[in-house]
Amino acid sequence: MNSFTKRTLPALGLLGLALGACQPDLEKDIKVSNGSVDFSNYVAIGNSLTAGYQSGGLFNAGQLNSYPNILSQQFAKVGGGTFVQPLFADNQKDGSGYLNFQGFTNTGSPILLSPGQAGNTRTYQLALTGQRLPSGENQLAAYAGAQPNNLGIPGISVLSSVSALTGGLAPYGLLNPFFNRLLTATEQPTVDYLTYISRTTPTFFTNWLGNNDVLTYATNGGVSSATNPFSGLTDTTRFGTGYRAITRTISKNGTVKGISATIPNVTNIPYFIAVRVADIKARFKASNPALSLYIVTGTAAMPMVREATDNDLLTLPSASVIGGVTTGNPFPVGAGLSATQSNPLPSQYVLDATEISTVLARTTQLNTIINKTARQYNVAVADMNMFFSNIASRGIAINATNNSASFLQGNLFSLDGVHPTARGYALIANEFIRVINTTYSASVPTVDPNNYDAVLFP
Amino acid sequence: MSTAASAGGFQVNLAGQRNIGMGGVGVGLSLDQAAMFYNPGALAMVRKNGVQVGVNATFARVSFVPQGGTTQSNAQHDTVTPFNLYASFGPTDGKLRFGIAVYTPFGSKLRYQDNWTGRYALTQIDLKSIFIQPTVSYALTDQISIGAGLVILGYGSVNLQRDIPVQDGSGNTTHLELDGKAKNKLGYNAGIYFKPSDKLSVGISYRSQVDATVSGGSVAFRNLPSSVASSFSATKFDVTLPLPATTSVGIGVTPSEKLTIGLDANLVSWSRYKSLDFAFNGTVGGSTTSTSKRYYQDALTFRLGGQYLLTEGLAVRAGVSYDFTPVKDGYITPETPDADRVGLAAGATYNVNDQFGIDVSFLYEMLQKRSQTQSDLLSNGTTDRVAGTYKTTAAVPGIGVHYNF
Repeated sequence: MNSFTKRTLPALGLLGLALGACQPDLEKDIKVSNGSVDFSNYVAIGNSLTAGYQSGGLFNAGQLNSYPNILSQQFAKVGGGTFVQPLFADNQKDGSGYLNFQGFTNTGSPILLSPGQAGNTRTYQLALTGQRLPSGENQLAAYAGAQPNNLGIPGISVLSSVSALTGGLAPYGLLNPFFNRLLTATEQPTVDYLTYISRTTPTFFTNWLGNNDVLTYATNGGVSSATNPFSGLTDTTRFGTGYRAITRTISKNGTVKGISATIPNVTNIPYFIAVRVADIKARFKASNPALSLYIVTGTAAMPMVREATDNDLLTLPSASVIGGVTTGNPFPVGAGLSATQSNPLPSQYVLDATEISTVLARTTQLNTIINKTARQYNVAVADMNMFFSNIASRGIAINATNNSASFLQGNLFSLDGVHPTARGYALIANEFIRVINTTYSASVPTVDPNNYDAVLFP
Repeated sequence: MSTAASAGGFQVNLAGQRNIGMGGVGVGLSLDQAAMFYNPGALAMVRKNGVQVGVNATFARVSFVPQGGTTQSNAQHDTVTPFNLYASFGPTDGKLRFGIAVYTPFGSKLRYQDNWTGRYALTQIDLKSIFIQPTVSYALTDQISIGAGLVILGYGSVNLQRDIPVQDGSGNTTHLELDGKAKNKLGYNAGIYFKPSDKLSVGISYRSQVDATVSGGSVAFRNLPSSVASSFSATKFDVTLPLPATTSVGIGVTPSEKLTIGLDANLVSWSRYKSLDFAFNGTVGGSTTSTSKRYYQDALTFRLGGQYLLTEGLAVRAGVSYDFTPVKDGYITPETPDADRVGLAAGATYNVNDQFGIDVSFLYEMLQKRSQTQSDLLSNGTTDRVAGTYKTTAAVPGIGVHYNF
């Protein structure tokens, strides 16, 4: 019996360990491939969404989670090369700053403070030079690193990219601090974005320009500023001319492969859906059932006051002015008993029903131009308009989590209600990868968006 | 009690040490006291009284790769040890046999790699159940015997953990741990055993469903930001997990004195498990309940095994089994990454003398590779789990001793 146990027990144990130690190998069946694309020099052009802007600013941690940077890490697995971003110096890593989330008020509104705003408990290492540009914006420290691959410029539009479209009267290098920091002193008054991108030699590109041709106007409640030539809705003629020039340049006349992305509808972002007319009315009616929400509409020359309806959208900043006190007016801001007895919410806090349809119609027209231009130059299209519409209407499940366009809890949009969180940018990168894989018969692996930060709650 | 051990879903079929070596057959046989589990009716035909104790070590290897990804995650290499104990007594030449059985028919222990793709569905589970079954069996004639046992869920525990998609100011992810003990519940196990000739025997048995109900289990959060605490106020939970009924038929064939062959089929009534529903005394993610679809299907297992007496003191065994999974396509959850499985078994018994012997067994299980895509999950309404491919293997050596008196 002893020899039996001595022989069989250890043998069985070892057999168990030997067979049991075989971890099934699932990786051997996975093949990655670049398809027909050369990813060795990837260049990304676009605006803040491309630069990695989030929570109201551009800063190093945000840039590292931009969708082009995430894409470049995936491209590296299929022959992609280095990807340089125009980062700020280490001791100025907070760049232009960002909003700080400090909790909720006792009515449940989030407390979001910008750098320098009273009550902000965070200390920032900003990259301000202390000077102001002719546009009134704070200048940022010059970028002194290698030629970047990520050429996203927060704030830029198609209209402001091509100086010929405005007769050269608004040198963008002197107006936009994010463009200003990438140019030398001699270039700043003369080089426009079109010239700047013509100097690159991409083997693959992504182009997500066009958002600000509608968004700047929309986020200001449909009020354009007389002093800012780029604050209105860009007309289709100049958009077409500019977009074709940009596409021709970046694709080297159709010889370089790339993707153009369409413009999302502004109504699908928390900036416009977080503060709801119905909720504000209910709040007013709780203190006095006769009260309602009144807004200023019409034009600057011919303003008119009316009651807000569910077809109007309130901007995110309106939350901090609604209910406030105005000297000489008995009503809190936004409240009133009638159009003539009220303290109406100023126009820049509202995207009223007329403005909404104008903006959406223009967005559709510009997207038609984007699609047509892409076809002309053999460029694939990532339909970000449909992508964001789907998220806004039914949310999106990511690896057992539910995400949506809700402000904060939705996890996809950052504290400014416009720009995605790192998780949102990862989702966008996966969408670009899906289009690349389909169009170019590639097998670029996707990322797990849940590996990227969403909103950090205090 | 690893999730991969030897039967579909979270069932564990490691009841009798000799039976394991024969692919888990036993319903149509009267091998030893473990008949109390396989077919209580056969106990009266087990002439020797005795006690037997066995334990197994489950080495399971679970691999997962997400859809569109390139890197696999491996579940931690935990070893669990399902055990069994059977004792029977009764007058030597009498028609009656009494017995007591302790076994662990359901269980699951799985700890996924840190930060794996499915961490918001599950990070780890530890499910245990110990059943106690006092049994009585009566030989109606020389050829037919019947038996029944009262099945008592003597001990049941569950520990379920997952991450929650909320991050605090430092980026740490909130983590949820549910821990509870099941209430004691009763069921029954009954069977009929028919031996028309020396060479043939037939059995049929039924083990009833027992619900594992946790009432007032504890809910604990880690890394929860204080600003969202009101949406995560729960401290207690209730849940019921059905441990399904099994209907079995088996045939035993003894072509010679030395050779015994068994052929079994089991049908487990998993379709009673439609969803896993939690109720909380407060909120979790703003809601006081949570429900997750299962819609398990009734599942069949086929088993074939044999025992050969080499000498008086030494018997060797071998067996195969094919187990259909209760988990539907597109419904795979991380806590039970199940698939159809093939089992290969071998075993031996060395009888030191008339009374005392040692039983050893070895079972190797291969679950088929199984995948689901995100569009599968969307169409089934099962987006609370992850898309990707799972594959599992398990090696289960076991040893037992028996003493007849």
